[in-house]
Amino acid sequence: MEISVIDYSIIAGYFAILFVIGYFVKRRVHSLNDYFLAGRKLTLPIFIATLVSTWYGGILGVGELSFTYGFVNWIVNGFFWYFVYLFFALFLANKIKRSNLYTIPDQLERFYDNKSRFLGAIFNFIMVSPAPYILSLGLIFNFIFGIELWITLVLVAFVMIFYTIRGGFVGVVYTDIIQFILMMAGFALIIPIAIYTYGGFDFLESALSNPELALTYIDTTKHLTITGTQTTQWILIWGFIAFWTLADPGFYQRCYAAKDDKIPKKGILASIGFWLLFDICTTFTGIYAVAAYQAGLLEVESALTSYLSIAGALLPPVVLGLFFTGLIATVMSTADSFTFLGAMNISHDLYKNVFRKKATDKQVIRVTKIGIVLSVAFAVFLSLLFKSVVDMWYYIGSIGISAMIVPIIFGFFYKGKKSPLASILSMILGSLTALVWVIHGFLNASDGWPVYIGGIEPLYPGLCISLIVFLVVNVIHCRGKK
Amino acid sequence: MDLMFFLILDSVALMVATAVLTYYFIKDFLKGKNKSR
Repeated sequence: MEISVIDYSIIAGYFAILFVIGYFVKRRVHSLNDYFLAGRKLTLPIFIATLVSTWYGGILGVGELSFTYGFVNWIVNGFFWYFVYLFFALFLANKIKRSNLYTIPDQLERFYDNKSRFLGAIFNFIMVSPAPYILSLGLIFNFIFGIELWITLVLVAFVMIFYTIRGGFVGVVYTDIIQFILMMAGFALIIPIAIYTYGGFDFLESALSNPELALTYIDTTKHLTITGTQTTQWILIWGFIAFWTLADPGFYQRCYAAKDDKIPKKGILASIGFWLLFDICTTFTGIYAVAAYQAGLLEVESALTSYLSIAGALLPPVVLGLFFTGLIATVMSTADSFTFLGAMNISHDLYKNVFRKKATDKQVIRVTKIGIVLSVAFAVFLSLLFKSVVDMWYYIGSIGISAMIVPIIFGFFYKGKKSPLASILSMILGSLTALVWVIHGFLNASDGWPVYIGGIEPLYPGLCISLIVFLVVNVIHCRGKK
Repeated sequence: MDLMFFLILDSVALMVATAVLTYYFIKDFLKGKNKSR
């Protein structure tokens, strides 16, 4: 693949803009409220841009799924999620905004007690680890520039630390606006060019229906059907994973930071529209990549980097640079937000509200800056250790969701008496069950793939135990108190 | 409706929606700048 100087310049220009924003944005930060939540002044357009771009970080994984499984990617990475977003917009967004807090552990303290906040902060820190995203960026740079993975990880970490430390959430939001425009433009451009170059539906149908061509390890004959070659059980697991949204710190942070009570609901509803349009573009870009590969028109290194391969083959200079920058921006916007959220867990949830309650705003900001560096360092370490984006999501997600979802949902919607002990035990035992399930799966691995008890994925037992423990302990504890 | 027509419509809708939102960012930004003066 040939990349022209102008394309490299566009990528370099993007990073220069991030540096400039990082440099000037400090002027807009005057208080802790500014640093943590941009002064709670997010307008509707900015709310939409920062939510849409932050939420969509796993772009390489989406490429891998649409390349390997076809249209069903839209079902598992789009369709199910829209319902959970809708639920969040209609029933949670305003409640969160009106609570006027800062983080999810703040909510846990409001519903239960300080110990629940402490535990919640630790699980939250694990859930918002930017490791999968920093690793994705490393892989993209490795593909484009051919630089060694560890060097790209350190370079990306440096840029992100610079503007996040200087501007806090203001820095994150301002860079999100640029990143939002780039990611939308990149994918909106590639589909018409793919249709023009390869052909329309007839091309897709004929290339994908011929299993004798280039590919032997993926059955592409059902790529254009709704469920593809996947089983109903496999598809439904993703429906459960979509519940991650209800405990996603990025959603909460943006709701807290909105300018008024109506913005979170309106903003999430508008964001669903953007995700819907964007998901269709990403899914069909993956399908075009596999069809072109099948037809012998495209070389692909791996399913994970299929977007990079098809862009390199299809797009002319300038547009290619914009697409690559859009791809980098998609991941970068999530990595910086998650880094900042992890730092807030350390400074606001643990330092200020557990260990040093009399800390001044200045001290909290200083600890947040240290937290940013710690969060990135931990992520770089994890990236070098795991080297698989999908694995990291899967294990972090299964353990984190098993701990957090039940206490949060009961906190918001259960009107009766709530026991702090039920919340703590539900978090500990739910996450431990998922962890033990994962370890057991690995100890009995076959051909390097974990084999779970009864073929059941770790998220199910984790959530079940968390729910049962919460209900039983809540009934016993609250009755005992009466 | 032809699938390709639908895909092109999707891409155009995404571009237009992004352009509209960008217009509002600029409007918000200029409003904020005038206020701070």
